[in-house]
Amino acid sequence: MFKKLLVANRGEIAIRIMRSAQELGIKTVAVYEETDKTAMHIMHADEAICIGSGPRRDYLNIERIIQAAQSSQAEAIHPGYGFLAENPAFSKQCTEAGLVFVGPPPQVIIDMGSKVIARRVMAEAGIPAIPGTQVLPAGVQGEQIATVFAENHRFPIMVKAVAGGGGRGIRVAQNMEELVKFIEVGRSEAKMAFGNDEVYLEKGLTNPRHIEVQILADGRGNVIHLGTRNCSIQRRHQKMIEIAPAFLPEELSNTICDTAVRAARASSYLSAGTVEFLLDQDDNYYFLEVNTRIQVEHTVTEMVTGIDIVREQLLVAAGQPLSVAQSDIFFRGTAIELRITAEDPKNNFMPNPGLIEIYQSPGGHGVRMDGAVYQGYEIPRFYDSMLCKLTVYGHTWREAVDRLRRCLDGFVIAGVKTTIPYYKQIVTDPDFIGQNFDTSYIEKHPQLLNYQEEVPPMGKLAILVAEINALGFNPYAEG
Amino acid sequence: MPAGEILDFLRHTPGVFLTNNERDVSQSDFKCRIMPQTTLKVAPYRDAAGYFGFEIFGGATVHIDLMKKQINPFEKLRLVRKAMPNTLIQGLCRGRNLFGYRPYPDNVIEMTVRLLSKYIDIWRMYDFLNHIPNLVVAANAVKEAGKVLMPCLCFSTGVGHTDDFYVQKAEEVLSLLGENIILCIKNHSALGSPARIAKLVRAIRKSFPDLLISYHGHNTDGNDLARLMAAVQEGVKVVEVADHGYGGIYSQAPALSLIQNLHDYGFKTPGLSIAPVLDASDILRLERRLYEKFTSPFQGFDPTVKRHKLPGGALSLALEQAEKAGLMERSHEVFSELIEVREELGNIWVVTPGSQILWSTALSNVLNGRYEKPSDDLKRLLLRRYGPFPFYDPHEWIFQKVLQGGRTDGKRWDEILADEAGLQELADEDLKARLLQLEAQIKRPATDEELCMYLQFPRDALDFIKFEERFGQTWLLPPDVWFRKGGFPDGARISFADETGKTHNIDLISTQRTADSVQTSFLVDYHFQTYTTQLSKNRAGQNS
Repeated sequence: MFKKLLVANRGEIAIRIMRSAQELGIKTVAVYEETDKTAMHIMHADEAICIGSGPRRDYLNIERIIQAAQSSQAEAIHPGYGFLAENPAFSKQCTEAGLVFVGPPPQVIIDMGSKVIARRVMAEAGIPAIPGTQVLPAGVQGEQIATVFAENHRFPIMVKAVAGGGGRGIRVAQNMEELVKFIEVGRSEAKMAFGNDEVYLEKGLTNPRHIEVQILADGRGNVIHLGTRNCSIQRRHQKMIEIAPAFLPEELSNTICDTAVRAARASSYLSAGTVEFLLDQDDNYYFLEVNTRIQVEHTVTEMVTGIDIVREQLLVAAGQPLSVAQSDIFFRGTAIELRITAEDPKNNFMPNPGLIEIYQSPGGHGVRMDGAVYQGYEIPRFYDSMLCKLTVYGHTWREAVDRLRRCLDGFVIAGVKTTIPYYKQIVTDPDFIGQNFDTSYIEKHPQLLNYQEEVPPMGKLAILVAEINALGFNPYAEG
Repeated sequence: MPAGEILDFLRHTPGVFLTNNERDVSQSDFKCRIMPQTTLKVAPYRDAAGYFGFEIFGGATVHIDLMKKQINPFEKLRLVRKAMPNTLIQGLCRGRNLFGYRPYPDNVIEMTVRLLSKYIDIWRMYDFLNHIPNLVVAANAVKEAGKVLMPCLCFSTGVGHTDDFYVQKAEEVLSLLGENIILCIKNHSALGSPARIAKLVRAIRKSFPDLLISYHGHNTDGNDLARLMAAVQEGVKVVEVADHGYGGIYSQAPALSLIQNLHDYGFKTPGLSIAPVLDASDILRLERRLYEKFTSPFQGFDPTVKRHKLPGGALSLALEQAEKAGLMERSHEVFSELIEVREELGNIWVVTPGSQILWSTALSNVLNGRYEKPSDDLKRLLLRRYGPFPFYDPHEWIFQKVLQGGRTDGKRWDEILADEAGLQELADEDLKARLLQLEAQIKRPATDEELCMYLQFPRDALDFIKFEERFGQTWLLPPDVWFRKGGFPDGARISFADETGKTHNIDLISTQRTADSVQTSFLVDYHFQTYTTQLSKNRAGQNS
């Protein structure tokens, strides 16, 4: 096992990775940009290195990060999620620099990162995929292919960027006019966002469920799955709530999990990954994509299996076999995870950075907090707005929902607007409680936004006391 | 309990019943500033004392609650109702004028009475000209809500104020409002001797022997205990008192003194317990120190009230107004003018809004010359917009000066009277339109109670709603914080319990002052917080 690990990330995932590393006796190195110097992950690491003035560009600077690893004598790098996690060049250059990259090898990232190659690999392995096209050629030829595809499969049709992912680079066309327009717009957007203007088409499913399977592979022939997750509750293709297990009929669940293991094998997978599927209203499933990284929602799987996924990643990266076999994996209860962000749901979920004046988080049985903020922390405007992930475990679905509600009521956060009041609406919504949701849930429940803003009552009173203190009298008593 | 059962209980239970009137103590002796924390602190003892009623709502307090105490009047009632489950809650309303100074449309009156009747058991109501038709809409709404109706006869002395007049008014009350009432003799100016009150009660009871009568008096001249005894001896069933711990000067006489007198004279006081009356006053003796600065500049009984007739609350506000106008030296002159003005304007009752009209006219006459700058309210009075003059009309020269002055249409005063005088029908409010108007301003749905406040006091209700959204339930703060003078020292702790009984602490850690802002650091329930108050030209700073 290596002695020192550099975590090439920030926020909650950096801290989460450091925790597993520290449990294995591995020293940890944090990196940070100058604009992020008060971030909490720095405090959790054994060492920290400033990699540049920021913002954002240095976390994406492969050379600087490798330099930081070398100067701190780290032997391995964990990329987390986002930033460089699915950049094959990073994996490649780490290896070339003699550093262990905690994740799959570059070719796997390349193959799975290209949606078109991934679809081909899966098709060869006999894994059902949503009907789609190859990369669309430019110009009239591309439009002709699109027209034929639309005639064969009907609308809606999704225009997807080859290099997209995580819900980015997707547009849904409802008619031919939109399709032609979105292909053109999609190309220029993909070029700007991903440096690659290639797009392809996929048949759109009506209100599907988003189901995914966590897999682990050690490169020694051991590929196992850790069960299903339901990530259907999404806003504009961004996941908001994730649930394990996905509550599928047993036979279907087994089939999907076995399919995911086959997919991993087909792609010569290594480390932790996620195979994503869409499930239509008749329970037909289609391969969506493989995520070649640790995912935000991995915590729900850890809660229902008891397996520390990051620990397994580190073991595999160190050349060791997985510590568990498929036969060791048992599923118990239900876990639900929420991404609590500093956003204003009433203002189109606009990020709301600022000073966290009060921060008090819930605890107790079955509660897991993966946080990255603290009281007095000023959330920088340059990075994502995640405050913390709240994951709860319940012996039953209902117990998990009740615990979730209790935990949301237990938060006290002042200074920034958060998504907590919006989640509070969800956990009391009959459709959510009754597990009646698919990917259209958020869109179909606009009333969730009808909540009152909550500022801690004592904080409001303190503002008045401050005013009395400042003025030397109470202006509202003498009006 | 339904109103009918309450009245039957009074009719068939021997003895005298006492109503504790904190509303009037607060209004008459402390400029309406008694805070809910004080009321709630003493509530369990008052509830255990066995008072028939507890008046906590109405009069000027509603407007002051919104303006200077930043309390939702409905919330105050809810809290008191919850804290005093065994006592009937009483409110005072000015008939068509509700809790304001001018008439409201019928549908506003009906909505207000309906919503408040969720908390108010006894509706005491009066019209300042004793024009009984002005009570009909509110009274009908009270009956509709199943609550006890207590219409008042405002009492005064001098020309016109005869027994015959008041008996005829009582007859009008019974005929217009029905017989299931308690008739209240409202002696807001502490007028008349005990003999005069006894004679009045005797006259009314002679004509209406089964009528339940209550007596509301003030102790301004130090003689109300005697009047209360005289009233009870003539058959008055319910009388109004105050806690001796408040030591009210211009409000009601002390409960304990009256109870001792009643018992010595052989009257029963069903349900009353002495120990909680003592406990309540022990607490209030300490609490009253928080409100010292709101007491009248002149303490002590005032037998001259017999001449100027200003009720307690109006008197202390009048003196304050005179002081602000630099007229304290000439206050004797203003009071003499007040007496003259009252007699010139029909010897009407000096009670809101009449007291304000008479006093401001007297003040203006001294400052600007007699009737040289008449107020709009005086013009309305002369135009009989509030009702007819009950005894005699003012002199013609006053009509001429007040009504013709400032007119550009060349109309003579008698033509103005002929064309414009009299009570005016007010069109119903478009409640839906006003609701939308309110919601547009507060940018969220409004409750019925918020709309009700808005219809009566549009600007102040709106300011209050915005205040409450920003600062929350500030009535939780101790009164000494609310009325604070000067900043807080480092280390000061503000400790209080919320409505659920949970304790909260706001600890002041430090204050940093710069030329244009003040930064205050706290521990709020053990969480560190810092607020910056901008010292701008605005009175209230902006916080970040």
